[in-house]
Amino acid sequence: MNTLIVLTVVDIVLLIAGLAIYLWIVGTQLTRVATNLEECNQLVQAVGRNAADIEGNLEHINRTGGVVAGALPLLYGMAESIVVGATYDPSKVAARGPALPASGRRRSRLHEGVGYLPDGPVESAHAPRADRAESA
Amino acid sequence: MIFALTDTQENLWWTAIIAGFVVVLAVAALLTILVLLVRTIDRRVVEIKATLTQAEANTADAALLDTTAAGVDLVLAEGLEHHLFLGRVLGKVRS
Repeated sequence: MNTLIVLTVVDIVLLIAGLAIYLWIVGTQLTRVATNLEECNQLVQAVGRNAADIEGNLEHINRTGGVVAGALPLLYGMAESIVVGATYDPSKVAARGPALPASGRRRSRLHEGVGYLPDGPVESAHAPRADRAESA
Repeated sequence: MIFALTDTQENLWWTAIIAGFVVVLAVAALLTILVLLVRTIDRRVVEIKATLTQAEANTADAALLDTTAAGVDLVLAEGLEHHLFLGRVLGKVRS
């Protein structure tokens, strides 16, 4: 009879103690999981905030980049046309003869420089005005 | 006052005690499985947290896309200036 009572008490105590221990362990683990999940929630919200601006800016960049990419061939064509127009082409230059003096034998002005005028003052000789006044 | 049990009552009591121990063992086994599963969940959550931390660090520089967009706009404006310049030079070269 006493054995039955003791075993019954032991049975009940084991059941209650086992449940308590296991529940304490599971409770601790679930608390840690809840904390980590809370941090995960904050991280997901941060990622969402960071990714919110990606779509609009990428569309802007793609649109502008497309315009630039479409305009570059036009610029290349214009630059090539400038290079072709500014490059020296000897075949387009008319053939010229050797350089010749503008007139024949040049007249010496040494005599006039020293005042020697055997033919008198000449208008084209650029004689000094005093000489021209005297001759007049 | 003495309680006397019949053999049937004593056998039933023993049966109840044995059944109680079996239940305790079953509860212990099931709670062990529960603890192991919760531990697995905890480990996976830690891994998810690490992955999310890396994702948050990777997307932290996404705000620079605004600066990049402004830079691309400047490139486009400079390209338009080049277009105008080349147009003027091309007109002079052709004339």
